[in-house]
Amino acid sequence: MAPAASVKAQSSYGQSQLDAGQTCWRETHDLRRAMIHFDAAMQWALEHGASELWDRAFCNRCALEIEAGEAGESLSELREIVLRSRDPETGFLAAYHMATAYDLTGDSKRARFYANIARDRVERLHRTDYRIGSLNQMGNLLLAASQFEEACSEYEQAYRLLSQEPSVELAMVLDNIGYCRLMQGRHQEAMLLLHRSLRMLLKLKLERPQAFTRLALCYAHLDLGRFRSALLHGMRALEIATTYDDPDSAKYALFLLGEVHNQLGNEELAYEHFCRLQQRFYPGAPNVPNVLMALDVRSLINLKA
Amino acid sequence: MSRKIRQVQLVGGKIRQLRKEHRLTQSELAGRIGVQQSDLSRMEQGEYRVSLDTLFRILAEFDLGVGEFFDDVARTTFTPQDVQLVRHFRSLPAEDQREVQEFIGFKRAKMLDSKKPSSDQ
Repeated sequence: MAPAASVKAQSSYGQSQLDAGQTCWRETHDLRRAMIHFDAAMQWALEHGASELWDRAFCNRCALEIEAGEAGESLSELREIVLRSRDPETGFLAAYHMATAYDLTGDSKRARFYANIARDRVERLHRTDYRIGSLNQMGNLLLAASQFEEACSEYEQAYRLLSQEPSVELAMVLDNIGYCRLMQGRHQEAMLLLHRSLRMLLKLKLERPQAFTRLALCYAHLDLGRFRSALLHGMRALEIATTYDDPDSAKYALFLLGEVHNQLGNEELAYEHFCRLQQRFYPGAPNVPNVLMALDVRSLINLKA
Repeated sequence: MSRKIRQVQLVGGKIRQLRKEHRLTQSELAGRIGVQQSDLSRMEQGEYRVSLDTLFRILAEFDLGVGEFFDDVARTTFTPQDVQLVRHFRSLPAEDQREVQEFIGFKRAKMLDSKKPSSDQ
């Protein structure tokens, strides 16, 4: 490949294809069309020796592959870009996408490694959106690792950077901070944050993300012995999870609803929910309903692990 | 008085106890269930929470049934008569246990039927 060229300096066909791909993905989420633009940008960059443009287009292409769950073969090249890129934005994007890819495969150690690199690189950029993305990414990884105080600190930094106008991003950060507080046993604080998140989602008429917030609210009310409220949030979470085919939320909704019914003394209904959980998600483990009827496992469970 | 069997809380310390009873090191169990040894150590100390999937992988490693927790349950909620009844039940051959379960199922169905309001009313 020819010597590196600055991405910003290239007012070119390649650059226009890169921009078109980003716009297409942002506005239409049309993966196939966005890929065509990124491929065209990479082809142009290859022919004109524009290595930085090639790297940037490749990073964007990888983000789509990761989204589609097909990034396996591209990760070694993405890793090379993390090492070689002198453009801080490209370096950030490569590290950020590497972290995402490893997180999705359950390799939390490598995900944390690359998320740390991304966070380091983002400090050199004056891009609030990237900074928020990086803080969120690290928060999510820490949350999955039950490091609730540390995760909360990341989310709180993201919260301070976000516009305070209602948005799904702001609602999700509030949800995550609320969930961290819940896991730390700070229920009143958690309730305020989770209800604020839910009100925002209701105002924005966004239904799908409500499943996460309602599951956390169900858990919180269950912990506080407010079983009727727990039941209402759990049932709504299950409805939303079913409507939007969200298996993870459905799984935890069935688990929590079983727990609520168990606490209410509705043994038949508790057993029914645990049976539905077992039949749909653990068909090879017929003992799951009996185990859950006899054991309260809540203190070992992280809904966002 | 409520006859409901109250749930026993499963905590990290119990996981540690079960692991030791099954003669597994933290590294061995962590490797089998796909978590890091340091995370399993934190879990046993009550500082690390897992997904439902991981929890059921752990319980499957111990081939866990409710019976393993029977002594804990008995200490907290059962009367001596309950304990004796379950002990006797468990001493029966499998076929006899099935018959007893069927009989209990029949009795429970009869009891639930008697509680239903009449459709004529």
